[in-house]
Amino acid sequence: MSSDSENPATEAKPEEKPTPPKPAAKAEEKPEELPAFEKGISDKLVEKFGDKVQVDFVKEDRVGIKTSKENVHDVAQFIRDDLHYDHAESVTGVDFPADNEIEVVYHLGSYTESSLARQVLTLATRAPRESNPIPGQDSTKLPSLRDVFYSVEFGEREVFEMLGVYFDGHPDNRRLLLPEDWADLPPLRKDFAIKGR
Amino acid sequence: MTDIMPPGLALKKVDERIMTLNVGPQHPGSGHMRIVVQIDGDYIVACDPDPGYVHRGEEKMAEYRNYITNVPHLERPVIHDSCNVLYPYVLGAEEILGIEVPERAKYVRVICSELNRCIYTMYWLAIYGIFLGHSTMFMWPAGDRELLIDLMEKVSGARVTHAHFIPGGVRNDLPANFEDVCLRQVNYFEKRIKEYAAVFYDNPILISRTRDTGVLTRENAIRYGTTGSVLRASGVDYDLRVKAPYDVYEELDVHTNVLKEGDSYARSKVPWLDMMESCNIIRQALQKMPKSGSVRTKLKPNPKTKGPATVYKRVESGRGSLGCYIVSDGKTEPYRVKMSVPSFRNLLAMPNLLIGEKLGNMPSVYWSLNYWPVEADR
Amino acid sequence: MSAIAPKFKLSEFIKSLLDNAFWTVLLASLIGLPAIQVVLFYIEMPVINGELLTPFLALTWLADPTRSLPILKAFMATDMFRVMVFPGFGFAALIAAGTIFIERKMLAKLQLRVGPFYCGKIEGILQLMGDGLKLISKEIIIPAKADKPIFWAAPVIFVATAAAFVALIPVAPGWVVADVDLGLLAVFAVIGFFPIVTILSAWSANSKFPFIGGIRALFQMVSFEIPLILSLLGVVILTGTLNLSEIAASQTNFPWIVFLPVGAIVFFITMLAELERIPFDLPEAESEIVAGWLTEFSGMMYGLVQLGTYLKLYAFAGLFVVLFLGGWNGPMVVPPFPEELLTGVQVGPLTVGPFPGLPLFDQEMLNGTLWFVLKTVGVIFFILLPRGVFPRIRIDMLLSLGWTKLIGLAFVNIFIALGLLYAGVLGPGGLQ
Repeated sequence: MSSDSENPATEAKPEEKPTPPKPAAKAEEKPEELPAFEKGISDKLVEKFGDKVQVDFVKEDRVGIKTSKENVHDVAQFIRDDLHYDHAESVTGVDFPADNEIEVVYHLGSYTESSLARQVLTLATRAPRESNPIPGQDSTKLPSLRDVFYSVEFGEREVFEMLGVYFDGHPDNRRLLLPEDWADLPPLRKDFAIKGR
Repeated sequence: MTDIMPPGLALKKVDERIMTLNVGPQHPGSGHMRIVVQIDGDYIVACDPDPGYVHRGEEKMAEYRNYITNVPHLERPVIHDSCNVLYPYVLGAEEILGIEVPERAKYVRVICSELNRCIYTMYWLAIYGIFLGHSTMFMWPAGDRELLIDLMEKVSGARVTHAHFIPGGVRNDLPANFEDVCLRQVNYFEKRIKEYAAVFYDNPILISRTRDTGVLTRENAIRYGTTGSVLRASGVDYDLRVKAPYDVYEELDVHTNVLKEGDSYARSKVPWLDMMESCNIIRQALQKMPKSGSVRTKLKPNPKTKGPATVYKRVESGRGSLGCYIVSDGKTEPYRVKMSVPSFRNLLAMPNLLIGEKLGNMPSVYWSLNYWPVEADR
Repeated sequence: MSAIAPKFKLSEFIKSLLDNAFWTVLLASLIGLPAIQVVLFYIEMPVINGELLTPFLALTWLADPTRSLPILKAFMATDMFRVMVFPGFGFAALIAAGTIFIERKMLAKLQLRVGPFYCGKIEGILQLMGDGLKLISKEIIIPAKADKPIFWAAPVIFVATAAAFVALIPVAPGWVVADVDLGLLAVFAVIGFFPIVTILSAWSANSKFPFIGGIRALFQMVSFEIPLILSLLGVVILTGTLNLSEIAASQTNFPWIVFLPVGAIVFFITMLAELERIPFDLPEAESEIVAGWLTEFSGMMYGLVQLGTYLKLYAFAGLFVVLFLGGWNGPMVVPPFPEELLTGVQVGPLTVGPFPGLPLFDQEMLNGTLWFVLKTVGVIFFILLPRGVFPRIRIDMLLSLGWTKLIGLAFVNIFIALGLLYAGVLGPGGLQ
């Protein structure tokens, strides 16, 4: 699932960011042509955390970081304090039944740091997945980043109800969108099938 | 699930002074959502937004359809902003499918996107007017909106649900003589919305009612992760059309409207200023657009992807930054589509702004957050 | 035989005829004859032109309609007519209906739309009737835990209170339902009754939104009653009377708005607040509290409240006209009645006519009514206008407006009146 991501030719346009534009970033095969600014960000993270973080991809305006659930809080704190990302745009849960894991992806952005205005840092972490979920009371748990990024509050609530990932330390782990009497599987898991499809 | 009770069902023992109001979903001032409000006298002491009444599972549905058939249903969350709500998905799908978009199609997209922003904002403004009890401000935008809806009907054939943007360009070319008609309508539209100042934005009662209510400071606006007009009304100069331009916005001169106050008056004024800016952008785009050429890269009905990938694309919609995160596993259907919608992000500011306000300020603060319940639920 | 009545039998037909005849005779003799006797024996018939009104005399009206004039005049002099028809309920309801129509069309023009259009061919003139029929035909739903007697009574009391207010307004010289010496005081008393009705209905509904709306209405009406009363004191000081007819009659030369514009403005604003019109429609603020104290009303209960609201609107506009705009006073524009509408025509041996004019109303009364209606409609227009221009204000802004600014202005008005009085410009020894 770790991405390769050809740079689309649709976005071939002159850039106004400090680094010169790089047409392609083939992360898997030829990693030598990474965009410099984004590379700098990922390098800082690797420098600080070593092998606790894996650089998922580095491409134009996007940096992808993967880390384990034990380290995600520290990494997020570092991203906020030292890299100056100040808000989370979204919290996404992706179900991977093949790996028996659920990935939670935070898309982080920055309003205050003007050089980071174009950037989105993708912070991904994974929680174990259980085939018979009891949301909130099984091992599918992650530390909440709500005390680091306040803006993840509703996003984490949504991930909790949609995928059954309980966030430890979240002050308000309640349903948000689903009906109050929802008693089925968390609906965005892959084993929740839509009727007729 | 004992400690995880849904909102409203968890009956806590509260003071006898406190009255709990269920504002919505059948309430003229709530939209398609519920706000559980606790008031002490006239002051709101607790506020718990409860969206989800129009949750349609768009993200789940998107996992079952291929990249082309996802187009018509992914615009449903905000049908009156349907071009913009599709825009990030289309950009992401183009990256995953590896398609190039013709230059003229990019300009058509910009024009449609700006027209749709105005259509959305007029609708929003109409509801803002009636929320404040100003019935003229309900009727005028709802009527003037027709000008632009007619334009979009000429372009796409549908009045509201256009499904005009598709991976590879736009569905069809602009009709003949569109530039003149568009220019005329947009000029008249701009003249009309400038008249709104006299009846609405300069109205002393409106100003005294919305000034200094629901103040969102710059720090809190950033902390809550708000976006769009809410953010710009709090003094943060952040517009994706300028900061991270997509398609041809880079070649256009876009001015960002920023107000410092952060109260509901500023939040209601920024979208209005943005509409005038949209008119400017449309005029520029009409001028710079290539006069002829293809508007669409042909695709097969069930196009193949280029292998596993993740993309996250953002555009500036009528409500703010709208992101689309697509995970592809190489099949013809997306593995996961996540819409990071501005309404959902702005919703977080609502309980924080409403607590401590008067009940009479609830509609103005709530709707000034540029919030569209259907979009937040997806 | 025939397809129309296949089972026709002559005997049955004759039997049905006989049946009908039997019942007619029975009912006429058992009910009709006693009724006529009751009328003849027990009801005192009026004396018209020196002769007693007998059924025979009534029959002669068929031959000469002019002979019915005295009885019509006698009927118009009764209290019943005044209460039900002319200066009272019927007249006010007619103006209220016109107000609703004008409000809808005017607001529609202001907002660049059409307004009611289809019902009744001409510009949707029958829309109100359609709405009324709809409201009548709707089910009345009472909240389960409501205090039912009070809840049922509230709309009726509301209409009754509004009608009582209407009864105090003089329309033309001598044409007022209740010509009370302390008329203005009676007006204050009736106005003071509205918040009670409102809070009763809101409380008895046992529902949250009506409760908040009722409390808001109470706040609003109570806090605006004080500037309302104070703003009218100037007129009372200058005229020296509380009788509304005398106040109207005192303005033959100039209306009081010339000398007391401040009072007129204060009264107009408080009037908007008492009427719960935009921008002061907080008790019914739909985006905040659904429909305020009207939330639980359904069907004709809601219709009654609306009727009461518009009667109240007419009464307030009429009060404004009587106090500040000179009431019925105005130049004589109604032409004098001709004695004979058509002079007699000789047709062969017969003389037809002369046809008399219709001297039911005298010239002065018609002229007064005309001017009163014109002024009232003008005032109503200005009451309706803010609805298209202003948003709703907030309860704290409203209260600070009522308690500080309006009361202050009302005192300014009183001092103006006192100054005029003591300077000898007006009042005894002055212009009047």
